[in-house]
Amino acid sequence: MKRFFRTARLVLVALMPLLRSAEPATNPPPPVAVTNLTIDYGVVPPAGQVPLLLLKGDAARQQLLATADCADGRIRDLTDAVRWEANPAGVVKVTASGLVTPIADGDAVLSAHGSNATTARLTVRVRDAKIAAPMNFANQVVPIFTKLGCNAGGCHGKSGGQNGFQLSLLGFEPAEDMEHLVKESRGRRLVPAAPDQSLLLLKAAGILPHGGGKRMEPDSRDYQVIRRWIAQRMPAGKPEDPTLSRLEIFPKERTMDAGGAQQLIVTAHYTDGSTEDVTAGAQYDSNDKDIAQTDNQGRVRIVGRAGDVAVMVRYQTQVAVFRANIPLGIAVTTLPPVRNFIDTHVFNKLKTVGLPPSAVCDDATFIRRVTLDVAGRLPSPEETRRFLADDATGKRDRLVDQLLAAPDYAEYFANKWSSLLRNRRGAESHARANIGFYNWIRDSLQENKPYNQFVAEILTATGDMDVNPPATWYRQVKDTTSQLEDTAQLFMATRMKCAQCHHHPFEKWSQDDYFRFGAFFSQVGRKGGEQPGDEAIYHKRGVALGLNKKTNQKVKPAALGEKPLTLPPDTDPREALAEWLGATNNPFLAKALVNRYWKHFFNRGLVEPEDDIRDTNPPSNPELFAALARHFIDQGFDLKDLVRTITLSSTYQLSSIPNEFNAQDKQYYSRYYPKRLTAEVLLDAINEVSQSPTTFAGTQEGTRAVQLPDNSFNATSYFLTVFGRPDATSSCECERSQDASLAQSLHLLNSKDIQAKLSADGGRAARLAGDLELREDAKIGEVYYTAFSRAPKPDEVATAIQHIAKRGGAAREEKEQHLKRREAYEDILWALMSSKEFLFNH
Amino acid sequence: MLNIFGTPKRFCDGVQRRTFLKIGALGMGGLALPGILRAEAAPGGRKSHKSIIMIYLPGGPPHQDSFDLKLDAPSEIRGEFKPISTNVPGLQICEHLPLMARMMDKVTVIRSMADARDEHTDFMCLTGRTHTNEPPGGWPSFGSLIAKIQGGVDPAVPAFMGLEPRMQHRPYNASGPGYLGVSQRSFRPEGDCKTDMVLNNLTLERLADRRALLRSFDQLRRDVDATGLMSGLDTFNEQAFGMMTSSKLLRALDFKQEDPKLIERYGPGDAKIHGDAAPMLNEQFLVARRLVEAGARAVTVAYGFWDYHGNNFKNARADLPLLDQGLSALIQDLHDRGLDQDVSVVVWGEFGRSPVINKDGGRDHWPRVSCALLAGGGMKHGQVIGATDRLGGEPTERPVKFGEVFATLYHNLGLDVAKVTVPDLTGRPQYLVPDGCVPMKELVG
Repeated sequence: MKRFFRTARLVLVALMPLLRSAEPATNPPPPVAVTNLTIDYGVVPPAGQVPLLLLKGDAARQQLLATADCADGRIRDLTDAVRWEANPAGVVKVTASGLVTPIADGDAVLSAHGSNATTARLTVRVRDAKIAAPMNFANQVVPIFTKLGCNAGGCHGKSGGQNGFQLSLLGFEPAEDMEHLVKESRGRRLVPAAPDQSLLLLKAAGILPHGGGKRMEPDSRDYQVIRRWIAQRMPAGKPEDPTLSRLEIFPKERTMDAGGAQQLIVTAHYTDGSTEDVTAGAQYDSNDKDIAQTDNQGRVRIVGRAGDVAVMVRYQTQVAVFRANIPLGIAVTTLPPVRNFIDTHVFNKLKTVGLPPSAVCDDATFIRRVTLDVAGRLPSPEETRRFLADDATGKRDRLVDQLLAAPDYAEYFANKWSSLLRNRRGAESHARANIGFYNWIRDSLQENKPYNQFVAEILTATGDMDVNPPATWYRQVKDTTSQLEDTAQLFMATRMKCAQCHHHPFEKWSQDDYFRFGAFFSQVGRKGGEQPGDEAIYHKRGVALGLNKKTNQKVKPAALGEKPLTLPPDTDPREALAEWLGATNNPFLAKALVNRYWKHFFNRGLVEPEDDIRDTNPPSNPELFAALARHFIDQGFDLKDLVRTITLSSTYQLSSIPNEFNAQDKQYYSRYYPKRLTAEVLLDAINEVSQSPTTFAGTQEGTRAVQLPDNSFNATSYFLTVFGRPDATSSCECERSQDASLAQSLHLLNSKDIQAKLSADGGRAARLAGDLELREDAKIGEVYYTAFSRAPKPDEVATAIQHIAKRGGAAREEKEQHLKRREAYEDILWALMSSKEFLFNH
Repeated sequence: MLNIFGTPKRFCDGVQRRTFLKIGALGMGGLALPGILRAEAAPGGRKSHKSIIMIYLPGGPPHQDSFDLKLDAPSEIRGEFKPISTNVPGLQICEHLPLMARMMDKVTVIRSMADARDEHTDFMCLTGRTHTNEPPGGWPSFGSLIAKIQGGVDPAVPAFMGLEPRMQHRPYNASGPGYLGVSQRSFRPEGDCKTDMVLNNLTLERLADRRALLRSFDQLRRDVDATGLMSGLDTFNEQAFGMMTSSKLLRALDFKQEDPKLIERYGPGDAKIHGDAAPMLNEQFLVARRLVEAGARAVTVAYGFWDYHGNNFKNARADLPLLDQGLSALIQDLHDRGLDQDVSVVVWGEFGRSPVINKDGGRDHWPRVSCALLAGGGMKHGQVIGATDRLGGEPTERPVKFGEVFATLYHNLGLDVAKVTVPDLTGRPQYLVPDGCVPMKELVG
């Protein structure tokens, strides 16, 4: 048997080349006729100038694109589909995938021949084809290490390096790389007299054993570049040599077909105005690999059916983004009413994409959905009945206003913020401050304190935690590092951690930026408070300065993207930070908050993850994102208004039931995306349905799970733990686990805890079974309104009544009948509580 | 393969309490949703997947009285035990490990585990890390990482199973899912959820009624959710019902389904809780093997109590033979079933024990060096890695870090420790092992 398989595999291997050549190796032909063909080379010449591609020096190269204008008005990439040709021969060489390299000085005409006799031409001029330009280590050699992964965090790039050889992470410190390569290990890594004998090349080419395996071929261009650099006696480059200033991607944006592909051209712009094609040297990363995939030569392939996708392109310290949208292309003929600007932008997007939305949900679904999302609880049967019976117009608007005015709103959102603000009970003696901080958060939300003020009061908090509750934030957020990182992640949706040890790989932030930002917290003083276990925060008099741990230089405080500040010793630097962050023109605060809240309601941020907003991680609907942030600022950072604006939109009120087209939609909000109830809300809902409350030690009677002030109750509540209530150890929403698990299912379906609730003497099942006045169908109505916020359907009533009859029917005695009826109600409640309609907000 | 549906008969006709504990031994915890979905998509499974069985010896066993006897040491250090030869020429181990002695060609002894901490906790053995520079949420246990990255093999079997009980000395249970969150916790029997696995005041007939009701009430369309959460939840519910009702599941997990001769080979061990740690249930070794066969990728077992501050030799004389029997049976069993290329076994404790025998005839904590034993996993065996000095007090050759052993184990699972990262709660990509730890060349090179 084993032998048979081996043979079969051999046959398969032999077939592989055949199979491969049978696959379409090129772009699929465009579905519509090509009207015009052009050759692009990444840089658009000034208007009026005839395009001319100049290849200078023997190392020059250029990726070309053959771009077709099609009869349907779209633009498509045909780089792989056209036939490339250069005339006269002997000046340049051009590959089938459009890469052109010099052979000898002179002019030539490049042609791309497409179908339908379409042809595009471009003149190329070669100069200095035999002249090797002087080399620059940082510009030419280091990018090769990055591309090949030599300086990645798992290899030589990690601190301490790998097997004694260290490179700076992702090549951010070329000067250090020079030291490691040239001077360490007694210079044996590089041998200018016999470059091929250099350890660097012998190992990288796999000629000598290399833990990282073979990374390059000796005849590859990368090998030759490094070889030449060694032969030139390892020049670092001249101090006046240009450095990389920015990347340009061509094209920046494209509407593409499912199954289509796009070659990119990445052009490096240097400080002296020169440019270089670095397409083959850059790195590519798709933010949604279910939609688009990339190769290391800059080719983007669409593998998904429809959607928006961004490809991050990295080269040295610079990043840039290519965006593609793949429309579904269904005619969007009917749209729900536009209630506000949210709908305008969402519907515009749906029309562009060609994705018809679901209809607006019914009233019963709406009241359950919005009450869960705003108040963190199920609506009571009375609320639901009243709402459903209300015939007046604008009742949904009025419902939202009522919810926002009630304390449930503030409690529910305080529960969220308390965890993000790490209101964690580290010791029993912290309880007072924990509760004080929670109350302060809740009251701030209740009185609708402007969000920028809320943030400022936390960041600038001084004094005893018992007296000034927001100072409690500094208890768990202890050192400068976590203060600056939490501030950035929580309030600015910017993840700074990377920049502590090296230049941020996906952002412009450097270590200087990191430590300057941290300098705002350099004067935070801490001492014991009045009561045991209390602490007090104060401003340590002195000039705010941070220490750049890389350079060991003192740095002045500077906000991200701003100039350093000189602050007098008596000024608390945090005041300046809060003022900057809360200003109406601050680019971070409003965006971070609206994205966080958007995710709360829609289960998916406009940017995902919600606390990682950056240029290289673009929003799914940029216009909406900008408008929402603008609106929030214009309304004075009004959180209740934001909630109202979101929940009153038709977009929020769409049904979750998919239509023919949008079942797979996860980013355009063409329907409501259901979410599992959070641990606290679910526990409260179960208590409500069973009418058997959970008690929490040390709280007032009747305290619900969403009202718990801090994490300290998780330890004693298996339910809260297993359903993922966070422990407030980080400022990331992701600490709350919303995944399903076997332990959850077992607990819900079969725990003593839940069983005891169902069978409690004072519980709903006991009461309904004992109530001989109320008709059975009315009782079933009550439990349906409680659990599902809707009337039961006739077949559901029938099923339930049948079950009651089945269980109770066998019993003769009155007493036993009661018992059986009670069991029947327990079963019914159990089944409702275990169903997805109950477990999800939908 | 486990079957989660079955007739209630066998359940009623008296499955013993002990058997229930074995089901319990299957444990509680979580299989993350992505995992289960991947599991559904993955072909086959069974025997073709790679897995790890970790046997944690709480308290820290005496290295010099088990696999690294110091014959040249003075008598107050050397101790009472005599060496015996093994089937690897030149390799001697303790006389109380005679069965292992016959299969040392199938294992590797690392005598120079060198970066232990003087802390009674399973943390290092299960995470390969210390608490220094720990990210928010904490370092995850190796099984949680594997479950997160590779998911399950079979939707009915959690990827990460923990057979250890909740031990009295709490730090023995210190490791957890860390920043990966509760859904990646090992599926464990003990604690609050132990009782969730047994029907609570409910007859099977009533449970069947409830399921029927649920089916008719549960009418929300599953396609309202494109993330897979709802279908995942349905899968977990099915599994849960299976646990409550299915005698087939019980049978699949019940080691007594095995050939009595094989069970006998594993030996009974000792069901009593030792010290403030764990029992020595040899059948758990067998359950572990059945679990990896059924689809688990990582199984942890805590075995005995090795903190011999007093009566070192009396204790070891009692404990070593139990380990000897269970471990040798497991390793032989894996070979007999052709699993030795797929299943890696690691046996270790949190530190070694002091060279000097104290006034109570015990040995104290000794984090400077300890032993680890590896088997299976397609590794090169029949070797000893590292060595200690004459007194067994310091590593003299090839000091090995816990992280290097983990790098090797991850390598055996097909995970490239130089490349695979998992984001923590701050979004920072975290490698699976500490900086500088690579798969050990001696074992996989």
